[in-house]
Amino acid sequence: MIQLIEYALNGALLGLLYALIAMGFVVIYRASKVFNFAQGELVVVGAFLVWFFTLDLGLPLYVGLALALAGAAIFGLVIEPLLFRRLVGQSTFAMVMVTIGLLILLRGLVLVIFGPSVRPFPALISTSPVNIGDITLNRGLLFGGIFTIVLAIGVSLYFSRTRPGLRMTVVAEDHQIAQSMGISVRRSIAYAWAMGMVLSTLAAVFYLNGKSVTFLVSEIGFAALPVALLAGLESVGGLIPAGIIVGVAQGLAAGYIDPLIGGSFSAVFPYLVMVTILFLRPSGLFGWRIVERV
Amino acid sequence: MASKRNGRVLAASVAAATLLTACGGDDEGGGGGGGGEGASGGATYNQAWLVDFSGPYADVYDELQAAREATNEWWNDQVGSEIGVQLSGEVYDHRYDAAQVASLWPGILSEIQPIMAMGVGGPDVAALQQRLPSDKVPMLMNTAGYGYAWEPDQWVFNPRATYVHEAAGFVDWFKEAQKIDGPVKVAMISSEASPAYVDMVDGIEGFAEANPDVAEVVAVEFAEVQPADLSSQVRRIVGAEADVILIQTNTTQAVVTMQALESLNQDIPIMLSSHNSLQATADAAGGLEKLEGDFESFGFVVPAEEEGEAYEFYKMLTEDYGLEAEWTVPTVQGIAHQLYANRVVEQAVEMVGAENLTGQAIYDAILEVQLTSEDLFGFLPDLDWTPEAPFPTSGLTTSIGTVADGTYARAELNHEIPELEKW
Repeated sequence: MIQLIEYALNGALLGLLYALIAMGFVVIYRASKVFNFAQGELVVVGAFLVWFFTLDLGLPLYVGLALALAGAAIFGLVIEPLLFRRLVGQSTFAMVMVTIGLLILLRGLVLVIFGPSVRPFPALISTSPVNIGDITLNRGLLFGGIFTIVLAIGVSLYFSRTRPGLRMTVVAEDHQIAQSMGISVRRSIAYAWAMGMVLSTLAAVFYLNGKSVTFLVSEIGFAALPVALLAGLESVGGLIPAGIIVGVAQGLAAGYIDPLIGGSFSAVFPYLVMVTILFLRPSGLFGWRIVERV
Repeated sequence: MASKRNGRVLAASVAAATLLTACGGDDEGGGGGGGGEGASGGATYNQAWLVDFSGPYADVYDELQAAREATNEWWNDQVGSEIGVQLSGEVYDHRYDAAQVASLWPGILSEIQPIMAMGVGGPDVAALQQRLPSDKVPMLMNTAGYGYAWEPDQWVFNPRATYVHEAAGFVDWFKEAQKIDGPVKVAMISSEASPAYVDMVDGIEGFAEANPDVAEVVAVEFAEVQPADLSSQVRRIVGAEADVILIQTNTTQAVVTMQALESLNQDIPIMLSSHNSLQATADAAGGLEKLEGDFESFGFVVPAEEEGEAYEFYKMLTEDYGLEAEWTVPTVQGIAHQLYANRVVEQAVEMVGAENLTGQAIYDAILEVQLTSEDLFGFLPDLDWTPEAPFPTSGLTTSIGTVADGTYARAELNHEIPELEKW
């Protein structure tokens, strides 16, 4: 029984980490209607910024982290004039294609600037475990999970209760309508990417705590995809239950199905859960239901 | 009007200069497979240096390729000039991607007509293994081999046996060194992301079945290659009371496993391979002291002590041939790779003459040559290929590195590998 609880809890914490990474997807989509295929690369850029300011420059951890977050926000702001300014009002497909280009560009840039070497990532949270009775939990993931829940509530309130958040929501509905209402689509997209970059950097902090960083870390972006799709691409709050569902499913599959079939079924299982739920609810668990006139 | 004319003159000048530069470039490129006249008067042949500068092993290839090139330069200078052959080379980055290899290869053949290809690993073997016999270009590897490639009459050659041999050699040594009475309880963490990783698991399971007194596989855990957490998997390994964990995938799995062991307050030694060596994993983990009591096992010299014939050769390359690489596993791997390849070329020259080198001649020479460890400055053990396998099947040894008292050290040099059946 203890083992079952531990598998489920560790899975849930992993799922919340996916939810934090998926929050980058959702914030960018929610505010600009761009499905960002380069989400994993944003995590890598954020991770390297943290490494650069903390371990490479040798600044105190929290000073380095603050500078990395500021750098990430500036990087996000720069993406808009570089890539999206001329695409305002264009088809969603064009914008999505640009994110694929961004994925390739960022991968190349990271290799050129930081090199291919595997770098140690600073431990901002102690790597010693948290023991609750007989249950052992990863401290980094536990703190990351709590942080993700608080952040998701905050971001959700920002989008639903504040004027800037509501403006961004209008942009996600339709660029032309937003412009006709006097909302700056460009500024909204720029803020969305800045938020996405900051969230990705925070995700890197919890994901890589005390581990290592290389450009290959970007694979986590795709691991977080089922959570974003399951939640519904517009729902920040929905990421929490979606992350927990995916994580617990993965944790239990790793604990009980993998040993039986001798393979990493757990890596595929979240996608099966996602496909099953999307089959029943194509807009995800908490996505917007949009009625369109054909 | 005058400016238009000036523009045309400028354009014509640029075109002429480009043409002249292009013509001049041919002299440097050498004559390829046909045996062109080299700068030193010998025939020049091309080799294709396949590399991974932008894929999962990009972190090792800067040093590895620098070592290959410096060794080749030394050979051209000291040996090639004596026997009338110069070896040139072109670098091709295939990003550790079989599709990329398949796409590049026809261009490589027509561009430089190589007499041999210097391979990287699984993707180039998978992409080219079937066509190399008809292309008549042998591919020489620096990696260990794979069980699925253990077939007769191959044109892919490894100087090391399979990764399974290297791990089995380690387990055999570990049993002796730790004085374990029964079989060594072995756990493995691997991935299904690559057939090579699955092959390693299959091979060790086969080895344990055939040698129940030496090894018992108590846990096999397949995980992602970039896992966020391996607590559940490592907990099962701890529950199975494993003596040692074999991880031959990458540094990330090794670091995350170490973290999981730490979080469970366990200290089970880990065995790593050449591509995720102790040095590389220590870099990723933030220090060698974190790998205290862990091991690595591979079929070439462990670059721990800064002494011996191999180290002297490396020093010579850094001083006389501008090698800019540390005394690390990738550097040793690169030197060993180029050394044995060039020794094979010497054998080919002996067999067919300096003017008649072809891919077929290199292939024949590989099967004919018997290289001693002295020929290879102690970088590799004795090598003797036969048509039965892509790697030498007799006299197989593995060397074992460890971290003792916070220092990288050689635990064993050339430990004999037990005989393995195909799996």
